[in-house]
Amino acid sequence: MSPLWVSLKTVSTTMVITVILGIIAARWMARYHGKLKPLIDGIFILPLVLPPTVVGLVLLLTFGKNGPMGQLFSLFDTTVVFSWPATVISATVVSFPLMYMTAKSAFELVDSDIEDAARTLGAGKWKVFRTVTMPLACPGIIAGSILCFARSLGEFGATLMLAGNIPGKTTTLPVAIYFEIQAGDMRSALYLTAIVLFISFTSLVCLAYLRMPRRVKKIVSDTGQE
Amino acid sequence: MLEVKIKRTLPGFNLDVDFSVDGEILGILGPSGSGKTMTLKCIAGLIQPDQGLIKLNDRVLFDSSMRVNLPTQVRKVGFVLQHYCLFPHLSAVKNIAYGVRKSTRSEVNDRVSELVGKMRLNGLEQRYPRQLSAGQQQRVAIARALAPEPEVLLLDEPFSALDSITKEQMELELMEIQDFYKGSIILVTHNLAEAYRLSSRLAIYEAGKVAQCDQKERIISSPASRKVARMLKIRNYLDGFISETNESSIWVTIPELDTRLRVSANGHDSLVANQHVTIGVFPDYVRIAEGPGQNTLLSSLDRVVNAVSTVNYHFSLKTISGKSLHIETVLPKSDARLLLTGQQYYLHLPPEHVAIITNG
Repeated sequence: MSPLWVSLKTVSTTMVITVILGIIAARWMARYHGKLKPLIDGIFILPLVLPPTVVGLVLLLTFGKNGPMGQLFSLFDTTVVFSWPATVISATVVSFPLMYMTAKSAFELVDSDIEDAARTLGAGKWKVFRTVTMPLACPGIIAGSILCFARSLGEFGATLMLAGNIPGKTTTLPVAIYFEIQAGDMRSALYLTAIVLFISFTSLVCLAYLRMPRRVKKIVSDTGQE
Repeated sequence: MLEVKIKRTLPGFNLDVDFSVDGEILGILGPSGSGKTMTLKCIAGLIQPDQGLIKLNDRVLFDSSMRVNLPTQVRKVGFVLQHYCLFPHLSAVKNIAYGVRKSTRSEVNDRVSELVGKMRLNGLEQRYPRQLSAGQQQRVAIARALAPEPEVLLLDEPFSALDSITKEQMELELMEIQDFYKGSIILVTHNLAEAYRLSSRLAIYEAGKVAQCDQKERIISSPASRKVARMLKIRNYLDGFISETNESSIWVTIPELDTRLRVSANGHDSLVANQHVTIGVFPDYVRIAEGPGQNTLLSSLDRVVNAVSTVNYHFSLKTISGKSLHIETVLPKSDARLLLTGQQYYLHLPPEHVAIITNG
């Protein structure tokens, strides 16, 4: 059961980071129309289109001993490579684009006139965001979170390259399945596969339900007027 | 009292307006794209003007020379946006309660139920905006805007989303708002009839500028320019000059027709003899006279157009130089008479309903 435990820990930590970063980045970019928008968009979405090995190698170069981040961490006597945080880093990098894109389109769909109306009613920026923007963008944010959950649960390539396969520490479900098959242990592989199938399928069904338009009966005025 | 004097420059459009409102309804009338909504957004602080001054009851909301620009949320400007922009995720009462500035829950509830009563929203409290008709949505939007007790209320095309019957009803309700809301109201519209019925003063917008701002009756009797007159739907124009003025009458000579028309002096001032003017008459006021007399013009009937409840007659007049002038008259069907095209009739221009345009 240790791969499931590692995966859940990794996925939940990743979710917290990705959802917060994704919302901040998405909110900012949804209302930003400067010249750099395509460039910034490109950088944020890039990990989604790159092969996992490329993401893994770039992360290795960044967080490795001689990489900029690796140098920074070595000041505190820590190494990221082949440690549990590495699973979180790779999962965050690959799942961030999904959160970002979904949340951004959700924010873009929020009518800015409605936010303006809230401001004329005395609400400051933070209150508008909390009471108007977020509730209206909520379905998109939840959808993004679920996609990001599924993506980080399935993260394999970059994790393997940056975090390796240390049982109980960095061996997530997909990594474990790969190594069980390599070792010829079909039973364990199938068992872990069933777990992944169950979790992923359940989350997608939840997503579909959330996406379903809420049916609201149009109440006909009882008085017959208007 | 709201004073607005602002400038904003955009590529291809300049807003440069100056007007004030004091405890009344000011109607801003102008075609779309003339800067009406932009003005409201500047007052609410949603758009920042390049320069100028916005002052609301001794509070400076915006002053470019003093670098003052209060944020929207502290301006106390109520704003009903064009499509109401209710919060779709909140019920009617929660929409209204959103801006209430009261400390305790029971005070908030009192204020909300007071507005629910005044705006006749009883029974609709728990409905969401999408469950309300357009008229009901508008009442919620007005109640919501009034909830924080704003010092001025801005209404942006409040009736454009309503069908004509609901619209008439909402107009009456808007007049009732004045019974309990004592602040100034600015109503933006492109509909003259609507603006005239609801406002006491009008500001006529023309390409980002206030072409005229005055009491509505004065605007009708002395439009500042031919463009303003056209916006008011005055269709008949005759060029001339002032030949004589006295206490009760102004005499305007129309050289092209070799005639003199009497205009009642009421509502006109600062006119001097020999001043060039254009007179304008609403088609509704032109009457068909039985025979020649004062203020009558002999014209021949070109065309008769049947409208729903009126008949429109198109006449033409021959001028001295041989040109042809067009005059239109509208009669209610009850007063309509069988007139034959090609025949000549005498048209009467009532002196008390002739507008004088000095910058024709």
